[in-house]
Amino acid sequence: MATTYPKCSPTEMLGLLVLLNDHKGSEDVALLADDLDLEIDEIFPALEYAELLQFLKVSDGRATFTDLGRKLVAASIRERKTIVRDQLKKTPLFRTILRALEASPEHRLTDEEFGHIIAFTTARPDGGEQNIVNWGRYADLFRYDADAHAICPARRSTYRKGGDRASPPNVGPGSETAEPASPKGSTGGTARGPGTVSAVA
Amino acid sequence: MGTLAIIRVDHVDKSFPTRHGTIAIMQDITFDVKDADFLAIVGPSGCGKSTLLRLIQGLDRPTAGSIVFRDRKVDGVAEGMAMVFQNFALFPWLTVSENVAFGLEALGWEPERITSQVERYVNVTGLDGFEEAYPREISGGMRQRVGLARALAVEPTVLLMDEPFSALDALTAEGLREEVLQLWRDPQLPPEAVILVTHNIEEAIQLADRVVVLSRRPGHVLAEVPVELPRPRDRKSPAFYDLTDRVYSLITEGGAPPASAGGPAAS
Repeated sequence: MATTYPKCSPTEMLGLLVLLNDHKGSEDVALLADDLDLEIDEIFPALEYAELLQFLKVSDGRATFTDLGRKLVAASIRERKTIVRDQLKKTPLFRTILRALEASPEHRLTDEEFGHIIAFTTARPDGGEQNIVNWGRYADLFRYDADAHAICPARRSTYRKGGDRASPPNVGPGSETAEPASPKGSTGGTARGPGTVSAVA
Repeated sequence: MGTLAIIRVDHVDKSFPTRHGTIAIMQDITFDVKDADFLAIVGPSGCGKSTLLRLIQGLDRPTAGSIVFRDRKVDGVAEGMAMVFQNFALFPWLTVSENVAFGLEALGWEPERITSQVERYVNVTGLDGFEEAYPREISGGMRQRVGLARALAVEPTVLLMDEPFSALDALTAEGLREEVLQLWRDPQLPPEAVILVTHNIEEAIQLADRVVVLSRRPGHVLAEVPVELPRPRDRKSPAFYDLTDRVYSLITEGGAPPASAGGPAAS
């Protein structure tokens, strides 16, 4: 099943959650849209993104917070980023990006390689690749160097400090999504960059 | 300073000469901005709201009357104030970090101090991760965070916001308003007072402690409406609705200029 990554910025999704919070955490989707004088389809991307990250559930045309969604709206600007980060890391697309980043020899993914990953995961990024990049930036999962046209590891890199290596993206080999770790055939699926320790317990 | 006014806008008039005579933009505007005040200025378009912010910051001068900021008459661009603009006003060739640094460089800060200050305000506004991004790459919400970080980084006494949410889509604006309130509540962060100019009455009541309501041009103060609802404010509460209604009525009914209104009306 293809996962959709709708065109929606982090602030837009947060806005929707703030709005839902104004409605006590559960509301008819049409009424939510109506509250901001929006057409219902204008809030779909934010609804879908929030559902993708498990902050709310939509059923029978009604959006309702999950516990995590409640936690997110109650959190500070800083804490929100961490919560979003943890959720993004669970999505097939971001998990795959992080793995590929880790596996590529120079810990960089060019635009082209990034395009391959999107094809691999059959993710449909409605908002374009820029939107995916910006979610990764917001959650501090990776950086994007616009001059070099490449995705790079986040600044508090998981590659420089051995101690951080336990937390990142991979659920470990043999987890249910068995995409190749790298879109680059030449490096092979198990290649690890020089100097990185494969510390998956 | 205690409860003394940080800013006193004192009988300010502003008019512009045109080929067809002088056009009065605003007349006899008087109000105070106090310590810890979140003040909103609302009014119909053309009432001079944005011009008023420019006068307060010293980017332009009143035709009559005066503006006093911390006991000194504003005469030229005032230090201690920073502006957040509707259209973000970022430099497209500078990265997010460089845009945030811009105001500090203009103030002649040392490079090391700029670096740590930029880091701090990039972090508090949730922009970390976007340091190297260019404005064209990021969403409107993120761009306005840059505008906010740039303004806060100079640690202004008064933050001026000119329709800061108007160029954003409705959901993004909703998200950013909430985060601006978070920043405002944080005692570790500047500013000591905020002046928000907006045409959006609900937004004014959602955010501000006091709402100054201006009339149609020539703008004059119709009322100062205190907002004493506890935050976060429930937009659906009857009290909120009543306030919105009151301000709305003031604006729609109270358009008549004062008796002495001079200058030809705009035709």
